[in-house]
Amino acid sequence: METQSSPMTGPAVAAPEWRAAARTLGTLLHQTPAYEAFWQALQKANQDPVLQRLGEEIRAQQAARVWGDDDHEAVLARLEQEVEQLTVVQEYRRAEQQVNALFSAVDALISQAAGLDFAANARRSGCSCGG
Amino acid sequence: MPAVAVVAVGGRTMELSAEIITTAQRLGQMIGQAPAIQAYRLAVQALESAPEALALEQRLYEHYETLLARQQAGEALSQAEIVAFNRLRGEVQSHPLILRRETALREAKAYLAQVADEISLVLKVDYTALVKAQS
Repeated sequence: METQSSPMTGPAVAAPEWRAAARTLGTLLHQTPAYEAFWQALQKANQDPVLQRLGEEIRAQQAARVWGDDDHEAVLARLEQEVEQLTVVQEYRRAEQQVNALFSAVDALISQAAGLDFAANARRSGCSCGG
Repeated sequence: MPAVAVVAVGGRTMELSAEIITTAQRLGQMIGQAPAIQAYRLAVQALESAPEALALEQRLYEHYETLLARQQAGEALSQAEIVAFNRLRGEVQSHPLILRRETALREAKAYLAQVADEISLVLKVDYTALVKAQS
């Protein structure tokens, strides 16, 4: 592995091997047909004007609910149903399922070799209320 | 055409390229040997060899479950009970071996999140969000 040095900073610390391995794995996953299909479906969904409009309506309803208006549950449920019925969303869901299966298989390999559940413990979201 | 191998995951099979399998396993081995993960394992071992600390922690969990069940049943807890629970929780949280495990766990999770971030950076999506729990 190459290292660089400069008079100001001294020898640079080589990037840890795990960082390179993680990036290589990311690149390999990125090149799979399942991920390519997922990425395309995601881009298509993000650019869909009907989905954008429904997203805006859902956010407006959610904001109104936060402010204490109680009549938004039914409207929200209807909007979410409309979203799921869009062809672009159904295509996205199918692609997502394929990627879920692929990534779960890869994660099982990482976890088995590491001796711990990798993704489950690496998630940044979630509460810090225990465990 | 890359070599393809079939791996069994959660009762299902999945075709993966040999390169993905090798890289995933190599990354897993590096994670297992990382100082933060080894420190967590040692902290767990130290705690498991201290029965009084384990008993103290178990007492807290049981006490918590009991109080929660009573609250959910509509019962109001007395101030004395809340004070006693908080005292027990404080004892658990300040026990050196439990504190060591919790600190090591936080550091291990921070390290794992960094590793996942590297994968996500290349994918441009959160890798961990696309991994589903195996049933």
